[in-house]
Amino acid sequence: MGNIVLRAEHLSKHYRLGKIGSGSFKEDIQGIWKNTFSSVKNKISPSTKTDVNDLWALRDVNFDIRQGDVVGFVGKNGAGKSTLLKVLSRITLPTLGSIKGKGRIASLLEVGTGFHAELTGRENIFLNGQILGMNKKEIISKFDEIVDFSGIEKFLDTPVKRYSSGMYVRLAFAIAAHLDPDILIVDEVLAVGDAEFQKKCLSKMKQVSTEDGKTVLFVSHNAQALKNLCTKAIYLEKGSLIDIGNTGDVISNYLKREQTLYLNKSFATPQDAPGNEFIKIKSVKVNPGYLDQHQIIDVRTPLVISFEFWYMPQGEINLGVSIILNTLMGDCIFDVDSPSVPFKPGIVKGECTIPGNFLNNGSYSVNFAFVKNTSSLLFEYEDSLSFDVEDYRENTAWYGDWPGAVRPKFNVNLMQTLV
Amino acid sequence: MNQIDKAEENDDFSDWKWEITSGQKWFELGLKEVYAYRGLVLRFVRRDLLASYQQTIIGPIWMFLQPLLATLIYVVVFGNFAKIPTDGVPKILFYLSGTILWNFFFDSLSGTMYTFITNAHIFNKVYFPRLVMPVSNVATQTIRLSIQSLLFIIIYFFYVIVYDKFSLNISLLIIPFLVVLTAAFALGSGLIIAVFTAKYRDVDTFLQYVLRLLMFASPVVFPSSIVPLKFKFLFWLNPLTPIIETFRAVFFNQGAIQYNYLLIATVNVFILLVVGLVLFKRREIAVMDII
Repeated sequence: MGNIVLRAEHLSKHYRLGKIGSGSFKEDIQGIWKNTFSSVKNKISPSTKTDVNDLWALRDVNFDIRQGDVVGFVGKNGAGKSTLLKVLSRITLPTLGSIKGKGRIASLLEVGTGFHAELTGRENIFLNGQILGMNKKEIISKFDEIVDFSGIEKFLDTPVKRYSSGMYVRLAFAIAAHLDPDILIVDEVLAVGDAEFQKKCLSKMKQVSTEDGKTVLFVSHNAQALKNLCTKAIYLEKGSLIDIGNTGDVISNYLKREQTLYLNKSFATPQDAPGNEFIKIKSVKVNPGYLDQHQIIDVRTPLVISFEFWYMPQGEINLGVSIILNTLMGDCIFDVDSPSVPFKPGIVKGECTIPGNFLNNGSYSVNFAFVKNTSSLLFEYEDSLSFDVEDYRENTAWYGDWPGAVRPKFNVNLMQTLV
Repeated sequence: MNQIDKAEENDDFSDWKWEITSGQKWFELGLKEVYAYRGLVLRFVRRDLLASYQQTIIGPIWMFLQPLLATLIYVVVFGNFAKIPTDGVPKILFYLSGTILWNFFFDSLSGTMYTFITNAHIFNKVYFPRLVMPVSNVATQTIRLSIQSLLFIIIYFFYVIVYDKFSLNISLLIIPFLVVLTAAFALGSGLIIAVFTAKYRDVDTFLQYVLRLLMFASPVVFPSSIVPLKFKFLFWLNPLTPIIETFRAVFFNQGAIQYNYLLIATVNVFILLVVGLVLFKRREIAVMDII
């Protein structure tokens, strides 16, 4: 286990929201007046009561990072991940607390920072490299490697404004990949580039951490990429550190807390229940067949949808129930029917199983349609249930969006017919 | 306290290499840091010189043409139409010397005062001492000044040889000092303005007028001899006045160098520069939250 190379203590960051103008000028003057002449100094902390314009992007965050750790930061948008990276990169100052560290730190919050559009690729390699903290000698010694990695040798003496966006990103990442700091901070760079290049970047990052023993801090929305790359993870929520430790556990904890679940609804009496004179909903429920103790619905998880309703038919009719699954965008994934059969007045219940390895990852909602004689609608219960399906991948280095409305696991067989 | 792993007994915490806290030291110029990043300063100088005349036909020749065109306009407007005297100095040399020095000051100042606004995209993504930017800008302007001086020297020697005017003496050695003083004046005031324009853009709009005024409060297009006596002290308090007048005195052998005013200017500029550096250093990171 390596030495501790980075320590954050009671790290907090405060932002003052609102427009800067004559109002803030008045506040500035008042602040200077207060600080100079008043004995009570203006002290703020995350725990004091604040008005709506105060935002604590980080609240009392503490952690240690050891040499050789690859640490992933997870959390929703606005959880404080980017602020934390900015503070670590010395782009913004903490309001309270401190970070202590050993060794050279380089941050990669964007690829191609400081690229000058009018200058050639060659000039920009030096410019960007030096902005990121390399010195001229280092760049010269790695120049061929960088050009090789980017694959743009033919365009080396062309101004980068003539590059395609793909070439631009390749060159930018190639420079960044050859940085040689003790601690590397990376933000979401995986979001750019094509699949092949993404793979190259990921394997380069993995190599940096495993072979060279570098410490890497990494932020991504992509839980799968984090799982694959990181040894440790830190979970932030509303600026506070919620969980820290082994990547698998932290990410599972994160996904579980973030999944917006409306997995069941039930109603005690027909009076409170949604419905009409024919149908009153008693309960609807999604029952996931969780695969492990983390209790996350991912693409492998089978789901049992069950429902119960009070049935009040008028006359001799047949009843069928359809279950309709929609995505968040309103696209229908499927619509499955029960057989249409007669029931007596009373309570009727039903069940339908969506097998594992069928749905793609995403957010879904369930509608129930009650149909008379396979032709006329008695009642439709819309958006009754909703659930998220998380991504899960094995044996792949591709972390882009998985295309397709569904994601079944049909067998694809390969065989060699000629050698 | 949350920790990935519990600290062990043999973990050594005494040798932290750096620390980031909210507090900034009260008095720090940050010059050492800039020296450590001198490679980056030179890189930005190279970038600015290379990029400034891309996609032009005559390229760097513009560097000569710009002051020359300005000078010709001044010769026609101020010299011929307004008939402002040049104290016996050939008009072209008189206006050229004023233009070159004023442009050097103006470009150095405006490059520095917009440091945060023009470089926000870089400052938001990567750390290096922010002073690298204004320093490299002033260095770029100094190189431009040196190149433009060639134009001045060529025309100057034309007058020396053809009309047998002027003679150079030991006082020529003061010229590099004048350049340093001008650069320091631009840098010092630019750094102070930069900190304020970052938050309140009013400063910037207001300064457009102040700078326009400053040009006419300096002997750029007229000699200081035409300034009424009651404004003389105020006029000479502007550091640019002794700088430009000394420059002309050295080359055109006009009267003695006003060492007393030059000394006042030097002291003022030094104070301005120190205040600018300290203020800039204290605010260089904090400013990024409000830009």
